[in-house]
Amino acid sequence: MAYELRRQDFYAGLIFCVVSLGIVAECWRMPRDLQGWPAYAGPGVVTGLLGVGLFGMGLALTLRSVRRTGSALGITGADVRSYLTDVGTRRLGLMLGCSVVYCLLLGRGLPYWLTTGGYLAAVMFAFRAGPWWQILLISAGSTAAVAYVFNRIFAIPLP
Amino acid sequence: MFLGPWYILVELWKLLTPLTLIYVTLSTFIGIVIGMLPGLTATMGVALLTGLTFGFPPKDAIIILICVYVGAIYGGSRSAILLNIPGTPANAATCLDGFPMAQRGEAGPAIGLATTSSFLGTVFGLLCLAFFTPLLGRIALQFQSWEFFWLAIFGIIVCGNLTAPTDPLKGWIAGFVGLLVSQVGQEGIAAYPRFAFGFDQMRGGFALIPVLVGVYGIAEVLGVMRETVVPRVTTQIRKVLPRWRDLWQYRRTILRSGVIGVIIGAIPGVGEDVAAWVSYDFAKRGSPKPEEFGKGSREGLIAAETGNNACIGGAVIPVLSLAVPGSAPAAVLLGAMWLHGVRPGPLLMIEFPNYIWEVTAMFVLASLAMLILGLSLVRTLVKILMVPRPILMPIVLVLCVIGSFAISVRVFDIWVMLAFGLLGYPMRKYNYPAAPLVLGVILGDMADVNFRRALIRTAGDPTPFLTRPISLILVAITLVTILARSAWFRQLVAAGSARLKAALSRA
Repeated sequence: MAYELRRQDFYAGLIFCVVSLGIVAECWRMPRDLQGWPAYAGPGVVTGLLGVGLFGMGLALTLRSVRRTGSALGITGADVRSYLTDVGTRRLGLMLGCSVVYCLLLGRGLPYWLTTGGYLAAVMFAFRAGPWWQILLISAGSTAAVAYVFNRIFAIPLP
Repeated sequence: MFLGPWYILVELWKLLTPLTLIYVTLSTFIGIVIGMLPGLTATMGVALLTGLTFGFPPKDAIIILICVYVGAIYGGSRSAILLNIPGTPANAATCLDGFPMAQRGEAGPAIGLATTSSFLGTVFGLLCLAFFTPLLGRIALQFQSWEFFWLAIFGIIVCGNLTAPTDPLKGWIAGFVGLLVSQVGQEGIAAYPRFAFGFDQMRGGFALIPVLVGVYGIAEVLGVMRETVVPRVTTQIRKVLPRWRDLWQYRRTILRSGVIGVIIGAIPGVGEDVAAWVSYDFAKRGSPKPEEFGKGSREGLIAAETGNNACIGGAVIPVLSLAVPGSAPAAVLLGAMWLHGVRPGPLLMIEFPNYIWEVTAMFVLASLAMLILGLSLVRTLVKILMVPRPILMPIVLVLCVIGSFAISVRVFDIWVMLAFGLLGYPMRKYNYPAAPLVLGVILGDMADVNFRRALIRTAGDPTPFLTRPISLILVAITLVTILARSAWFRQLVAAGSARLKAALSRA
């Protein structure tokens, strides 16, 4: 029976292998006589062992996907195009883009009402959540409510 | 232990203040809303509220989180019955019989049965919590570094095994990723900053709440916003109050599902979803009418809802006695207790002797609020279910940001949350369960410190890891859990049992 996630497992396994090798290498460079503790109690011991474990599992995932039947392992231009033109991918990209910009703008001196209100309105407009006046009302109301409840009542500083 | 009911009543009496009752009502309502909205889970709700209630007095914060937890696990049944979409993974089994009941015009009785069986399940779970936690706590006092190390590994393996039943390798990978995530920052013996790469903020490691909010909250927001189909409620709801005859008729199913829920809850990392499925499966096997399951069986609905809510009490048992969470929301609850100065674990009974009774009393209030709100606010809750996702989800993301930021007032935590959201989304899409990752983040420090401490105590001799009795039991169960998933081991066991049967028949 064809396995749907063959390609994804193959590349994920490779990523786990590479990352875990990096972890093991970094652990090897960690001090082995820190503050007089013996080498077996060094800071890299358990982390290194976990890295080796992850490497083994990543390798198993890769080898298993090679042995299984299913989609081809290579990625073609058509695959990339079909993924990028998918409606779901576009929606995901839009939401992700708005959210990343919002998170990056926080804590940079801009007023909270501006970043949050702007973010909410932008997402609701982008996803056509309703008429413009409703979107503005909801985003302004939500921002004011969040700021008031958390900043004034719960005394939590806003980013 | 026999004075337990009295202690619970005393703690309950102490909690009965107007402010606490307002918190209980509001937070249970919030929990039900979070649970019933597809895409928002109990874990995400508890993680979010942990950040938002950080400034509250510890007792108030914990009762709010418990109410959200109980409310969310129950709330998911609402969308499962009305939309055939489980509000949380814990309610997936509820869809099988809840939705067919709604389709044939029995949405009201289905909601009523789900509410009462959730209540009964929670009550059963909290009774077990009150009586078994002190017992397990006494056993846990014998645990030392060797056992704590194996407990962490055992938790990851069992959790990975059960949360990814079709592909446990992915569950174990998620668990190891979680363990490795917890290694970032200063370690617990010599304070050496691991993987900090010169960044001061990385020296402190990744805080639990931003990681949790990212993996559950942001990943869920992204997943829901990707979908183009918006669900609609088309069923009419009339009589909601359940018939007591139904509950009495299925008393054995309720009891069995309660026991299953508590046992599964007590297994580290294995959550309410597994409890619901196993309870459902057992109910089907034991039912005189198994053919009705999946077609609107009241017994199936009762089994699933009793099982997932009984799991809550079970999941909190290892939290309080071993500081090991029984489920993903319980992991957040554990983190919240740490944040508020309570140290769950073997020493809890010594340091905070009344805390178990206090937590049990909080669960009693939460279950009562769930029962009352669940049976009374039916139409209001259905209206909330209809809020468009493009309005709701960005607001949820804004709350996730505040929740992550509030713990340490660091913008760095917002980026951590976002990064783990970006990790959590593909994990979910490609069938890597999030629960082992979360458990790994919680248990990583325990595994690291105890492994090294054990070696220091024996001057580098690793043999006690395999020779101490409790260690040996944990190693054996862990190995069997791993080997049981391989085909050759199953063939070996089958061949062995066939040979044994043949030998017995000859004898």
